[in-house]
Amino acid sequence: MRLILKGLAVVTLSLVGATVAVAATPVTMGVVPSFAEETASAGVDSTFKGDWKYIVGGGVATFDCNGDGFPDMFLAGGENAAKFYLNQSKRGGALKFKETTSGLEEAQVVGAYPIDINSDGIMDLVVLKSGKSEVMQGKGDCKFEHASETWNFTSDDNKWWTAFSATWEHGNTWPTIAMGSYISITHSIDIDPWGSCSGSVLERPRADQTGFDTAIALKPSWCPLSMLFTDWNRSGTQSLRVSNDREYYRGGSEQLFHVDPGQAPKPYTVDEGWKPLKIWGMGIASADINGDGYPDYFLTSMADNKLQTLTSPPVDGVVKADFKDVAFPLGAIAQRPYTGGDMHPSTAWHAQFEDVNNDCIPDLFIAKGNVSDMLDFAMQDPDNLLLGQPDGKFVEVGDKAGVASMNVGRGAGLPDFNLDGLPDLVVVNRNHPAQVWRNTTANAGNWLDLKLEQEGSNRNAIGAWIEVKSGEVTMTREVTVGGGHASGQQTWVHFGLNSMTDADVTITWPDGTKSAPMHVNANAFYVLKPGKDAAAWSPA
Amino acid sequence: MVMRHLSAALAITTAMAMVPGLALAATPTPTEVLQDWYKMVLELTRHTATMSPPVASRAYGYIGVTAYEIVASGSDKLQTLAGQLDGLTALPARDAGQSYDTGIALDAGLSAVVNDLFSHTGPIGHHALESLEAQLVAELSDEVDGATVKRSQDYGRAVAAKILDWSRTDGGNVVENMGFPMQYTLKKGPQYWVPTNTVVQQQLPLLPEWGNNRPFAMPTGATCPTATPPAYSEDPTSEYYKQAKEVDDTWKTLTPDQRATARFWADDAMLSVTPPGHWLQIGLNIIDRDKLSTEKAVDIVMRLGTGMADAFIGCWNSKYIYNAVRPITFIRRTMDPKFETVVNTPPFPEFPSGHSTQSAAAATVLTAIFGDNFAFDDNTDEEDGLKPRSFPSFWAAANEAAISRLYGGIHYRAAIELGAAQGKCVAGYTVALKTWRQ
Repeated sequence: MRLILKGLAVVTLSLVGATVAVAATPVTMGVVPSFAEETASAGVDSTFKGDWKYIVGGGVATFDCNGDGFPDMFLAGGENAAKFYLNQSKRGGALKFKETTSGLEEAQVVGAYPIDINSDGIMDLVVLKSGKSEVMQGKGDCKFEHASETWNFTSDDNKWWTAFSATWEHGNTWPTIAMGSYISITHSIDIDPWGSCSGSVLERPRADQTGFDTAIALKPSWCPLSMLFTDWNRSGTQSLRVSNDREYYRGGSEQLFHVDPGQAPKPYTVDEGWKPLKIWGMGIASADINGDGYPDYFLTSMADNKLQTLTSPPVDGVVKADFKDVAFPLGAIAQRPYTGGDMHPSTAWHAQFEDVNNDCIPDLFIAKGNVSDMLDFAMQDPDNLLLGQPDGKFVEVGDKAGVASMNVGRGAGLPDFNLDGLPDLVVVNRNHPAQVWRNTTANAGNWLDLKLEQEGSNRNAIGAWIEVKSGEVTMTREVTVGGGHASGQQTWVHFGLNSMTDADVTITWPDGTKSAPMHVNANAFYVLKPGKDAAAWSPA
Repeated sequence: MVMRHLSAALAITTAMAMVPGLALAATPTPTEVLQDWYKMVLELTRHTATMSPPVASRAYGYIGVTAYEIVASGSDKLQTLAGQLDGLTALPARDAGQSYDTGIALDAGLSAVVNDLFSHTGPIGHHALESLEAQLVAELSDEVDGATVKRSQDYGRAVAAKILDWSRTDGGNVVENMGFPMQYTLKKGPQYWVPTNTVVQQQLPLLPEWGNNRPFAMPTGATCPTATPPAYSEDPTSEYYKQAKEVDDTWKTLTPDQRATARFWADDAMLSVTPPGHWLQIGLNIIDRDKLSTEKAVDIVMRLGTGMADAFIGCWNSKYIYNAVRPITFIRRTMDPKFETVVNTPPFPEFPSGHSTQSAAAATVLTAIFGDNFAFDDNTDEEDGLKPRSFPSFWAAANEAAISRLYGGIHYRAAIELGAAQGKCVAGYTVALKTWRQ
């Protein structure tokens, strides 16, 4: 999310890479959010469980599959069967879910990402497994059927699938999918599992655009735990960012791939500015946190997390793929537990930016939890909620907000389950029931929730950019699918508006077409379509 | 390098799954058992967060002594190190008149010490350990009577227990927070170390008390002090400034070969087998290449492990006397704000160079065993994409490892040269250990 604040400045704030003037009014900063855990009362009872083949993963997919606007939920179970929960919450009310048979109830599930693959207006799911992954076609009314064979989606059953992202390459009506594969899970690697990163793949459309072509290797493959197609340089073409677990690769590092139409995927090089970075890469979150118009990236790891911004501003429109780490100076490093007394380093997994208090500044949630009896790392490792501040820094409020769970966190999502304009929270824990919280912040700001819809292919406009402008505040956000940790969210795109009562929204659609500004009111839902005015929407 | 057993074990596992009742492969020799366990140890080093180079060297020391004592107790060629190593008293003896299988004893003993010293490894590491144990026990026990198997295992474990008891009192047994202190007061002044990165944990320096640990062979950590390095100065005519200028100039004119050399010896913690693991790998390669006897093999790994462990203790003792600022801090502050290092600047004081100290110790030990001009190939990081290198002697390798730290931009020349001298001094005590009965 890009944030630019300027105007009636009495305070000048230095954000990283940019100095902007911040309005003295109407912005009210720093409302500490509050969350109420409603796992039991909401009827959610799902545990991601398993041996070493399930030490990573444990994701959740949140999406609306029955057209009521309320995000439904699919929770990975590992050795347990995965569970689907139909959202029965009332607007603004307590969270309510009903476990429902959907066709998704299978074991070995590591995580899942919602994506409308065949552009029929019904969300499908890519289900990552420790074993053969599957694409599940949405059939409507929250029913799903296997579609891997029909769509020629290939997935090696000897692999441990842990990362996913997708894009619609220019000229295609069928998506291109990146599938990240972790270490081999065959018994032959028992004694020497290191360096056994099995191959990740890129699945592009076949010529008739009704299924996938033969998968091609995404080389080199270094045990990714998160992937994200993202237009990091605003070129109009998304590249593939890959976060890899250094525990298992040989000679690897973090990666950024060129994925250009008709070309084989190609890693960015040092000459292009890409510096080798070796971390226990586990999750990717993206937002424009410094207002330079380019996405920034939070990368989760162990004992150390990274918040990367471009090192240098564009020169003659050219941007080098050179990122610097600003996590430490911005207070976003979340290196060790901030409450509970365990001072060992943390282990971070899913990360996601959302404005949870609607103050126009993106906040950052991080799910935390020990890998499995790793004694050098915290066993009591609370999840983080880092509240974005006007000065560009982040302040930990997880304990104050009531989300400092000490369970062994993995995947997460922050959809607005009850459509009250406040992002709620679901966290999947390993060997402990998943948890859901309702955002009950009393003094939150105004908000705006948007849904992008296109006719034809890429119905949810993956790759679009949303710009929300209100007064002197401008926020931008890229529409993506992927990233996080084994957890995908395709729900209303949320913006906090603070005390502003209306805004102008401009969409740069995936084909590069830029819409005229559309005027919208605060505290409302809008469906946006190319060439049309914003259409207000409200729950039935 | 050929590691017979691990690769064979993988093939066996697969084959047995396909052909029920298939006989096991030939029983591994004690040297092969040793190689298998050291391969596991080197893997675990990069997969155990606690294993910074000093901590890894300590583990290698105790593992080496364990292997040595188990083999020595059944050999008429080797004598015990009890009474020679600091604080090591008499070890369990084999029962006279009873038969033992040295390979089984070695496996049991190494299993015990490795599981203990690497207890902080992750779940995959523990899984790999369990798999190796199961595989070796099955292979080693196949043609040995049950009583001998048990007696040998009990003996190996008893030796391991004795070594581990001994290890608890050296000052390095407990490593919290990956070795970074929770509290430490940084010295004030431009000449003193300051953090060089933005990792929260590394805002305080690694293992400030390590130099007070009990060494293996040398008397104390202060036994081999370095000569005094050039005094800190920002005067361009000073020796200190000139040495800093040399680092900056080297970076500006770095050749591809110098860069490759810096990378070859980088040996970053948690991304490699670490510097002591690198030299251990060199020794293991030679053991394998030259088909050395088990006695010779344990003598080598024991001396390498204990010698490098002592080198780190001596080096760390000196590091926290001088608490010297790193080149990246000084050079950026005084002469070149754009200065970058080629390898990661380690999170602890600059002087002396740890890699130089311990490489010199390793070269001293290996030269004492094999002589001067002993050529070898080093393929330690080949799987990480670093091409093997050939060296005409151990000192050629040690000198290259030392100067690589200047190419890498993380040490001045004084830290390299005086560190190497320190390592040579330290290893003199290791070389003096009496192992062969003659």
